[in-house]
Amino acid sequence: MQLKNSSNISTALAIASCSLLGHSAQVYAGDDKQDDWKVDAAIMYYGEQDRVQAVEAIGNVQKAFGDESLLDVKLVVDSLTGASASGAVAQSQSQTFTRPSGDGQYETAPGETPLDDTFKDTRVQVSANWAEILSPVWKTNVGMNASKEFDYFSLGLNGGLERSFNKDNTTLVLSGAYTFDNVDPVGGRPVAFSSMALRGDYDSEEEYRAAFAQTRMEGSNDKKTLDMMLSVTQVLSRRWLFQANYGLSSVSGYMTDPYKILSEVDDTGTTQRYLYESRPDSRLKHSFYMMTKGALDSGVVDFSYRYTTDDWDLNSHTLETHYRYYFSGRFYGQLHLRYYQQQAANFYRPFMMAGEPIPDYASADYRIGDMTSYTLGLKFGQRLSGGHEMSYRLEYYQQNPENNGFDLVGQLQDHDLFPEVKAVIAQVSYSF
Amino acid sequence: MSIQEKRVPSDFALSHRSWGHSGSFRAMASPCELLINSEDESLAREMMAIAACEAARIEKKFSRFIEGNPLWRLNHAGGEASAIDAETASLLQFARQCYRLSDGRFDISAGPLMALWRFDGGGIPAATDIKQAKVLVDFSLVDFDDYQLQFPSGMSLDFGGIAKEYAVDRVAYLLAEQWPTISVLVNFGGDIACPVSKGADTPPWQVGIENPQRLDSAAALLEIRQGALATSGDTRRFIEKDGQRFGHIIDPKTGYPVVKAPRSVTVLGPNCVTAGMLATMAMLQGEHAEAFLSEQEVEFKCFR
Amino acid sequence: MNRTLISIVIAFSLSACSSLGIEPWEKDQLARADMALDSEKLDLALDDHIYFSKEGSSGGRSLAGGGCGCN
Repeated sequence: MQLKNSSNISTALAIASCSLLGHSAQVYAGDDKQDDWKVDAAIMYYGEQDRVQAVEAIGNVQKAFGDESLLDVKLVVDSLTGASASGAVAQSQSQTFTRPSGDGQYETAPGETPLDDTFKDTRVQVSANWAEILSPVWKTNVGMNASKEFDYFSLGLNGGLERSFNKDNTTLVLSGAYTFDNVDPVGGRPVAFSSMALRGDYDSEEEYRAAFAQTRMEGSNDKKTLDMMLSVTQVLSRRWLFQANYGLSSVSGYMTDPYKILSEVDDTGTTQRYLYESRPDSRLKHSFYMMTKGALDSGVVDFSYRYTTDDWDLNSHTLETHYRYYFSGRFYGQLHLRYYQQQAANFYRPFMMAGEPIPDYASADYRIGDMTSYTLGLKFGQRLSGGHEMSYRLEYYQQNPENNGFDLVGQLQDHDLFPEVKAVIAQVSYSF
Repeated sequence: MSIQEKRVPSDFALSHRSWGHSGSFRAMASPCELLINSEDESLAREMMAIAACEAARIEKKFSRFIEGNPLWRLNHAGGEASAIDAETASLLQFARQCYRLSDGRFDISAGPLMALWRFDGGGIPAATDIKQAKVLVDFSLVDFDDYQLQFPSGMSLDFGGIAKEYAVDRVAYLLAEQWPTISVLVNFGGDIACPVSKGADTPPWQVGIENPQRLDSAAALLEIRQGALATSGDTRRFIEKDGQRFGHIIDPKTGYPVVKAPRSVTVLGPNCVTAGMLATMAMLQGEHAEAFLSEQEVEFKCFR
Repeated sequence: MNRTLISIVIAFSLSACSSLGIEPWEKDQLARADMALDSEKLDLALDDHIYFSKEGSSGGRSLAGGGCGCN
């Protein structure tokens, strides 16, 4: 057979096929990018039994610009109400406390843990992050965030650099952040270890006000945080990957909680007065984190461990796992378990003894005391048409504060000074 | 093109894979499969329904085994003119181009010759029968335009040489039109098309090319992100006589299957009909198959 | 002591990295959306916020961060 001229045949055929198929033979050179917008939204309810309740809503919008850039903008609004432990101890008598603003007071019944229910606040946070692929092995990101609540303002900048090695099997990330916080507490910042002025102790309103003013310092207070993290992600196999992070954080400034107090008791355990707490003005923290994540045929599983330590001597261990199981191509269930154990900061004490010298720092905030906490959660997710996904989760979180070695004197033995805090978390998310 | 005929319900199987969904059904005497790069099951089902329907539609229309179908009616017009639709006209035009480009070796009027060579267990036809049949094989006698078709009585047309590749392209393009960002690989028994590229952030589609010595076990692994592939060969349809295999590519000039044709030829092309026609033409080259394809500057693989 | 032990473990895992890994075409499983490290980033962010407010430590998975008056 005589061949027509070389590749004329294949070209001629390609052209002929165009007419046959009705469109260009080079069809759809594949804009393989999905829709370049991605939106995630969630609303969460957090409720402690008899204590704090919060509702938080997050919206995150991600837009891709070409193949190499990604913009992430996030908006968070959360609203807090309810009461939280002030740090004072329970007594067999009823107790009266002055509110942080100095206007008014609240009472605690005998045997109850004193809870300050002044907290009703709403916070708004906005953050934006820009990620850029510089080359096949270098990536960078830069971002900022700002948040505001009634008595608090925060502004931060963050950045990171990422380098991948070994055919993208190993990734090294160095990131850092600088945050500037400003706190302007309701009623002004309390003087450290000053005694809480109680209206009942004074004959006239003016005298009370004068005494209250003595416990206050004017002006707002700053806190500066410098964070750095080194992260290594390594592909172990087709299905498993591993990540290890080291984080260093240096905080300086006002870290005292202006709303927390300590009870000063005598040797019968009876409260004599309440003192405003005081914490150091610097903190250097280290964190070590390891995680492994596996792709299973019918799900995903991850395990992680985190160890933290700092110069407040607060050490903690965290063990966490998530296990996801796909019941069908579009519906999954996920189990979440978390175990947390923390060792008290060196200046934590559940109460002060009358007569003993006032230390440099002290706080009775159970959140920096000895504590073990457990989380058990269940999440269900559904893939809807068009790539939308909806999920809902319910979690139970229990904190068990513990005595870090203090003798409970007198009537303190009759009360539970370390009550459990039980909370329920419910969340619904939607993404598209 | 007026393709919208009554939707014929078709059965298919769908299963979820790590990279998306894989669907399968049988059509045109071949195992047909779609690899869909989407996690969305209902979407995959929609795609499979379209694919199975379109394949069934084309098979019903152009199969030479279905009595009374459109092709049968054209072939039993007894020399009279028949009305044809736009799709049939396009296929005839393509067939004519192929007839010319192959110097008459690819001829869809080789129906009578095909009827003799039934690769279903029968033997080699008698030489006299072949001679008689050859008289009726001549595409130059087929007269058509956009609306009508006419050819001498006794002749018949067979779209078997292009129908499967055409079905693959039609299914692929129907899906790509509706879902231009989802990569789907359409594979009807080794004739493959994937117009929408599989994303660079995911591994390419992997396709096994059969080794003619051993059916059902892939010999070479081809990685494909976008494009089409067609295989022409005797691996599934052949007659074996006296230790010799007769492939199913009949040379209309001789009336016999092509001598020294490769066992199997696989060609990569921009679409399946182009790749398929190149593969067929390569087979018609017999021992010159590789040389022909090299000159065409296309990627190919021949098994002998 | 604890700190030394942990930094040794991390250094070891870093050095063992160069021999581990898979070819780019084997990344099908890891490319799954649910295998991305930030696959449930809203959940993780909400969790981190809860634990940051109710416990004495923070960070680990991502930068410790400040940004709220809770702790």
